[in-house]
Amino acid sequence: MTDITSARPVTDFSDTPEEREFELRAAVGSYWTGGRLFIGMFTFLLASEAFAYFYLRSSNNGQLWRPGNVTAPTGIGWAIYSVVLASAVIAIFGQTRLRKGYVLDWEVAGWTAVLGGLLAIGLQIWQLTELPFFPGSSGYASCFIGWAVMNIVMILGGTYWMETAVARSLRMRSITTGDGPDQLVVARSLRMQSITTGDGPDQLVVARSLRMRSITTGDGPDQLSSTPSGQIFRANVSACTYFWGFMAVGSTLFWVMFYLI
Amino acid sequence: MTISAEREREVAYPDPTPPSVGWFQGLPARPGWLSQHLGTAIIGAVLGYLLGHWLGNVVASGYTNVANSGVNAIANTGGIALGALGWLAGIGAINYPLAKIIGKEPAPEFETTSWSRYFRYTADHKVVGMQYVIGVLTFLFTAGLLAMAIRTELLSPSSHVFGPGTYISIVSEHGTMMMMMATSVVVGPLGNWLIPLMIGARRTAFPRVEAFSFWIFSAGYLTILTALPYGGFPTGWTGYAPLQTQAGGGMISYLAGFALIGLGMMAAGFNLGVTIINYRAPGMTWSRVPIFVWAILSTCALLTLATPTLVAAGLFGILDHTAQTAFFVTEHGGSSYLWQNLFWFFGHPEVYIMALPGFGIVAEILPVFTRKPLFAYKVAAAGMLGVALLSFFVWQHHLFQSGINPDMRPLFMLTTELISIPTGFIFLVGMGTLYKAKIRFEVPMLFALAVFFNFLIGGVTGVFLSDVPVNVTVHGSFFVLSHFHYTIMGGLIFAFFGGLYFWLPKMTGKTMNKKLGQIHFWFMFIFFNFTFFPMFLIGLLGQPRRVFEYAQNLQTLNDISSISAFILGASFLVFIANFVWSIFIKPTPSPANPWDSLGLEWQTANPVPYYNFERIPVVLNDPYHYSEHDAAAVADMGDPVLVGAVAPTGDGGGDTTGDDPVTPAE
Repeated sequence: MTDITSARPVTDFSDTPEEREFELRAAVGSYWTGGRLFIGMFTFLLASEAFAYFYLRSSNNGQLWRPGNVTAPTGIGWAIYSVVLASAVIAIFGQTRLRKGYVLDWEVAGWTAVLGGLLAIGLQIWQLTELPFFPGSSGYASCFIGWAVMNIVMILGGTYWMETAVARSLRMRSITTGDGPDQLVVARSLRMQSITTGDGPDQLVVARSLRMRSITTGDGPDQLSSTPSGQIFRANVSACTYFWGFMAVGSTLFWVMFYLI
Repeated sequence: MTISAEREREVAYPDPTPPSVGWFQGLPARPGWLSQHLGTAIIGAVLGYLLGHWLGNVVASGYTNVANSGVNAIANTGGIALGALGWLAGIGAINYPLAKIIGKEPAPEFETTSWSRYFRYTADHKVVGMQYVIGVLTFLFTAGLLAMAIRTELLSPSSHVFGPGTYISIVSEHGTMMMMMATSVVVGPLGNWLIPLMIGARRTAFPRVEAFSFWIFSAGYLTILTALPYGGFPTGWTGYAPLQTQAGGGMISYLAGFALIGLGMMAAGFNLGVTIINYRAPGMTWSRVPIFVWAILSTCALLTLATPTLVAAGLFGILDHTAQTAFFVTEHGGSSYLWQNLFWFFGHPEVYIMALPGFGIVAEILPVFTRKPLFAYKVAAAGMLGVALLSFFVWQHHLFQSGINPDMRPLFMLTTELISIPTGFIFLVGMGTLYKAKIRFEVPMLFALAVFFNFLIGGVTGVFLSDVPVNVTVHGSFFVLSHFHYTIMGGLIFAFFGGLYFWLPKMTGKTMNKKLGQIHFWFMFIFFNFTFFPMFLIGLLGQPRRVFEYAQNLQTLNDISSISAFILGASFLVFIANFVWSIFIKPTPSPANPWDSLGLEWQTANPVPYYNFERIPVVLNDPYHYSEHDAAAVADMGDPVLVGAVAPTGDGGGDTTGDDPVTPAE
């Protein structure tokens, strides 16, 4: 048995450039993997709803799957679907602009998608107040209520994700284009959080980069794209956009299920 | 000053004067009772519950059917939902999500060695792991007390301690709590604590998601506890409709509690899965990943993909009770079988969510105490992935007796029997490792060996149960009950305790008392078998589950089972006594590597630094080359003195003092 109580003392934390590079790749990869896994989770959630839909449809217990072929308000359904689809397309377009370096274009697209998401949620809630059936009147009615709740949760999630990405982008812009001690405090905050909360040594580099920049050159946000934080930011935006694409696909499938077939 | 020199100065840790980051990110994360902690979480939960309940009453007050029913499910649901939200808000879980809306960064957290960190929302995976240890043990012991109540009632076939309604409520609460606990019993404590260390990472990928998983898990525990004051629920842990739709307020606690636990499971699986994929240290190839990590990765796949179905089913159930939908009401176009399908699509993978981590622990322990390499490592990893994959294709065997199309039975019988093949792989890996080994019978090894004994019985009876004729014969009997207790308690819980005895010295820096550990093991092992083996016979003789009366001729077997259960319960008191004595009352510092393990988690400092490794290790070999004198070192730890300071290989593996470090392979 190793007859020691401590292999070595706890020492100060620091990292080498190689370790920073490793952490950066891991952080970027985590956004990639996490974004896809998040979609996988939502896929199974929506698959459960789809299973319920087809199971009750095929069972048609008491001939109560969809008596009278009643349908949820079609106009509002079209509107929700259109808004989600348009918002997703805009988000995807924004990301292509971001890849080319047009940050402002992406920010505008992002805000538009956020507004679209909020509008879709509002429409979905409004639709629930306009239903021509009682929730428990049929299998279709039950499934529709279930879908409406899931749709609100899904769109709310995507909207929140996009909003936080845009807000972070704007905040980083204000940090880097401004001057004075406030920026130093925020930069230092970034550095501290990266050290203490485990939010990634990547932040460490950008904090220092931001601080150095604000002190010396006053470079603008365009420079951010090459920083580690910029890479992580783009990975986050990429995952978020991917999720918006997923929402569009999911909305399409359930729109067909509830309004067309 | 050069940039590189400045960089070194810049990143020195810790910075003594952290900046303020504004009011919006909540109370300061500094240690101290003015910040957010368990106390504020409790206050938030109580206030949230009261507000939600009041709102629910306001919303439903105009509906006569609610007023006449005597149960306002909307108020119950509102109370639980806002109570859980208040709990999370009180602990500080939503500070950052709110701050993020205006683009702010997370508030800084300060490393502290104070015990108060265990009562806070923290990004340190080791603290979260220890929080989970206490959390799951609380869960386990609460549900264990309910088990004692069940066995007390079954001491006599006709004299009753409880009425039938109370009895079924206790049975349901016991089963649900145990299942909830078991889903996280390894992933939560040991997974969170160990995985980053085992793969050479300084952190997890999403530390706040990890912390969220624990606090939502604990909210689920509190939620399911509320079922009892609400009158309990009569469905058992499976929650079958139509009983579900007819049940009272306790059913909401069941549905909401399971959904909250499900969210926690998804969060934990998400974070650990992403961490394993992305944060493996350089050189930690898939063929060098510890087998426990493979087990957790397989489990994470199930947690993230199967659990959403449970959450969806819970949502549908809650909608049936609140919005008056009819998902599970056959008379209104729904189907009670829909619940069964959704529940078991989650529920059977859940069995492997519980089994796989146990296999991982055992496979990790065996090489250390046999001083042999893990036999057929790749087969074990493949077996775990195979089990995870196949587990999605067997759920309908739970419906053999519930109206499934008879033509479908052979298919699901086949898939169920197929899953015994990769399970058998894992079992044989253990046997191969034990073959001709000089075993060190330390306490963790005793538990590991018991897992093989118990799981063999549980597994073989499982193969019987997968066959339709046997299934039809013993369905709903104590035979089934005994089978799954042998697999879950005999497999997972024994493995969990083996893992605790194995890794607690690393986690706490203290040595558990060996004598008390042995007493705990032998009492637990012997009386576990005396408790549950008679149940096979009881079941074959026709005693059904969840019924509080039984035939007179079964009393002897039931009494053997009950008395053994009481002693089994008492054996856990020995563990608690050992834990309290060894960790708090008379702590004995643990050696850095008490078992001479080659695992990477044992190679860092003790106590483990906040960032785990001073240098990110470069992995050179897998950690199972025991007794191989020419084996390369496990890792380059980045310190010249300790470059080759992998754990000495004890009596079979060369140097034991660390004076002659092994040079890493080029």
